[in-house]
Amino acid sequence: MVTSNLYFRAPKKALTISGLKFSYQKDASLPVLNDISLSVRAGEIISVLGKSGCGKSTRLNLIAGLMKPIAGEISINHDKSRCNIGYIFQEDALMPWRTVKANLALAQEIGKVPHQQWQVSLMDLLSRFHLSENILEMYPTQLSGGMRQRVSIIQSLLFNPQLLLLDEPFSALDFCTKLRLEGEFYRFIKDTYRAAVLVTHDIEEAIALSDRVIILNNNGTIEADISVTFDYCQRDPESIRGVAEFGEHYRLIWAKLKAVISQ
Amino acid sequence: MKNLNSPRTVAAVQSQRAVTMMLYPVPLIVFLVAWQLYTISDSQRQFIFSSPEKVYSAFTTLIVSGDLVRHSAVTLMEALTGFVLGTTCGAVIGLSLWYSRLVSTVAKPYITALGSIPIFALAPMIIAWFGIGIVSKIALAFLSTVVVAIVQSYQGAMSAEPRFLRLMQVFGASRLQTFRTVILPSSLIWVVNAMKLNIGLALLGAFIGEFISAEQGLGYMIVRASGLYDMATVIAGVFTLVVLALLLTSVVEQIERRLLPWRSN
Ligand SMILES: Nc1ncnc2c1ncn2[C@@H]1O[C@H](COP(=O)(O)OP(=O)(O)OP(=O)(O)O)[C@@H](O)[C@H]1O
Ligand SMILES: [Mg+2]
Repeated sequence: MVTSNLYFRAPKKALTISGLKFSYQKDASLPVLNDISLSVRAGEIISVLGKSGCGKSTRLNLIAGLMKPIAGEISINHDKSRCNIGYIFQEDALMPWRTVKANLALAQEIGKVPHQQWQVSLMDLLSRFHLSENILEMYPTQLSGGMRQRVSIIQSLLFNPQLLLLDEPFSALDFCTKLRLEGEFYRFIKDTYRAAVLVTHDIEEAIALSDRVIILNNNGTIEADISVTFDYCQRDPESIRGVAEFGEHYRLIWAKLKAVISQ
Repeated sequence: MKNLNSPRTVAAVQSQRAVTMMLYPVPLIVFLVAWQLYTISDSQRQFIFSSPEKVYSAFTTLIVSGDLVRHSAVTLMEALTGFVLGTTCGAVIGLSLWYSRLVSTVAKPYITALGSIPIFALAPMIIAWFGIGIVSKIALAFLSTVVVAIVQSYQGAMSAEPRFLRLMQVFGASRLQTFRTVILPSSLIWVVNAMKLNIGLALLGAFIGEFISAEQGLGYMIVRASGLYDMATVIAGVFTLVVLALLLTSVVEQIERRLLPWRSN
């Protein structure tokens, strides 16, 4: 990719979590997360699977610094600065009073991204995510759900984050668009050597995109941490689905996930 | 959205609008005809209810003498000045309460208390303080509007959607940046609603002031006419007040369209 050198290359360790504990109750009963430890390297994509309500979004919120853990450490790169993180929420957060362009310009206004760089990255990202320039003058309400999700992703990426948190970002898309976007997303993360933590309900998506799949238990601990490796060098989320190993991974993960979900 | 509409739907919308425009005066005409039929050739009824004919002639007299324009201008000026001052101050106060949780917590009961005082009760005191001139009416219009503006804009600031606030937090925005990008735009709807409510309240405030003690203005004109049992002039005055309110409301609607362009889509 020509554009890959536009983006800052992140150092090796992107995210380290150790002994993380969190509860919504004041007395720390019923912890949503209990003693979670995890590390993510730069260029790595990690998927998080688990039953609905098991604490996946909560975990992303903690990493993003939106909530304070009861115990444990989260460190992002070497420093703790928050602007290194991009977070794509489960529901999109585009402001209805701003045009798409003005929403995307937040990276300039708040992230202090220079105009020139912003402009170049924007054009690159629009074409990567198959959006036409015409949508820039529209308001978010005039876009489809899938378009809004893509705009949200672009909005976060324009801040040039080294760690991306994504909460079911491809859920509102038809299968074809989803495959295409997964591919674009995968290549983007790998090209630019970023790290990503992806929350999803879709096992296939988890396998196709990630280097590791983490299955969360209902009591707030990690049930399994499974590496997803293929002997296939040209990995691409679409064609990888047809490889024999894909099925093996699927069966293994499904077996573990079924045990968690049916608990 | 304009370019998405086919010519046929544009035409359909236009003809629909024309029909609506034609229907607007129908209730008024029905009312006027009924009124005229009820009061025609019955001087007893005409004395109590006046009649369209009499009101019309009262209007012409008032317009020819220049009284109507003079009194309306005074009331309009008082209400408008009070409205602008009250809404602006209220919005500034209400929005800045967002900045400090402590100040807003302390201020809340006072604002509620202030909001529950009927303006009627204050009017004599305000007139004693500011005299019977226009200043006391402006003060009354200000007081009627400022509380609504404070409450509405504070509510607006507090009801900004959490997802936008979270986004700002993730982006590492400062409090001022969050205020400018999220709080201000999301409370605009509330401020505009406050403006809509305040148009009526400002006119009422000015009117009450004039009603109690004044030498000019529509309130004064109506009080004097009703003292003389001149129902036609009273009704002409009330009608003018309604027209003023409608006029100001349409101005606010124009402002709304300017301030909230994304809502018209
Ligand atoms: N603000 C809150 N206050 C109290 N409890 C909460 C709050 N938010 C979430 N919870 C609880 O914490 C648990 C985890 O919620 P979370 O949103 O992290 O789930 P999730 O794994 O993202 O689910 P889903 O897949 O449905 O999005 C849930 O049981 C939920 O009831
Ligand atoms: Mg969730």
